[in-house]
Amino acid sequence: MRFEFRAFPSASGGVLTPRPIVDVALEGLEAAPIACLLDTGALRTRISSEFVELAGIDLGDTISETVPVGGVRTVCSYAHVTLTISAGADRHSWDAPVWFCDPWPYDFGLAGLEGFLQHFRVTISGYEEYLEVVPEST
Amino acid sequence: MRSVTVAGKEFHLTKRAVERAVGRSLPEPVREHFVVVSGRRWPPKQVLALATGLDRADFTTHQARRVLTRLGFPASRVGARRGDSANSRRAERGAGGKGSSHGRARSRTSAELAQVAAPEPPGEPATLADALRPFIGQWVAIRDDEVLVAAPAPRHVIAWLAEHGQQAQSVFRVPGSEESIGGAAPL
Repeated sequence: MRFEFRAFPSASGGVLTPRPIVDVALEGLEAAPIACLLDTGALRTRISSEFVELAGIDLGDTISETVPVGGVRTVCSYAHVTLTISAGADRHSWDAPVWFCDPWPYDFGLAGLEGFLQHFRVTISGYEEYLEVVPEST
Repeated sequence: MRSVTVAGKEFHLTKRAVERAVGRSLPEPVREHFVVVSGRRWPPKQVLALATGLDRADFTTHQARRVLTRLGFPASRVGARRGDSANSRRAERGAGGKGSSHGRARSRTSAELAQVAAPEPPGEPATLADALRPFIGQWVAIRDDEVLVAAPAPRHVIAWLAEHGQQAQSVFRVPGSEESIGGAAPL
């Protein structure tokens, strides 16, 4: 599955440098895949806790950790969830650990090693501004 | 202020009053025609219904569009290219396009150039970044480089998608600076 880098507007005019973004759907929120920045430096996959209740995820007895993210100390709670990515007619679902964080300072989720990169063979072309992911199980 | 008669009733509308009337609502999906109110695309009938309190069955899309464009709201239709709207087509005709024996190649007078250079009504934004620009700092749902809905919180976006049976390609908050994306590598 191939994803073109996504460009965003700059508040001061022009366009920000396009970024590698994958849209990851949580089970229960299939109609609203969450944009996640592909972050090869991140151990975890982290998403704002605002999506927990919307996806119907129960964090009742889960473990949590406090980590600094973007200069903010945030509490992240673990859940094992089913994730789906799709591109055109292609789609792939997998079960993965995701950490839901409150507060969450970023505009996207972060797709890190656990939860995302361990499940795919990823090719990134910063020059041609695309990324390609192939599920490791195929 | 403009007096308009819709469905046999007279209303005194201003642009500001219409903007206030749509204030807390979210735009419904745009099927074909839209007007731009406060930087967002709205179905014309939704806007006129909110502004007048009338039932949407009481008037047509074209009536709504006519009333709203007369109040100064830009209007266009989905799929229209920038500058491909009725107003810019008129401008093009006035500047030596259709109906001119000289065609497009003839020199234009300064008055004609001013007409052509007037702000264009909205067509399709050229890129996704252009489409996202009015929504910096807001949560959006996008599909095919089009903004489906924008709202202050993801729960509003999700509720809108569910209410209107829409499938988004991606949901995120629109960043406005490199700082809001960069340096995002935590543990």
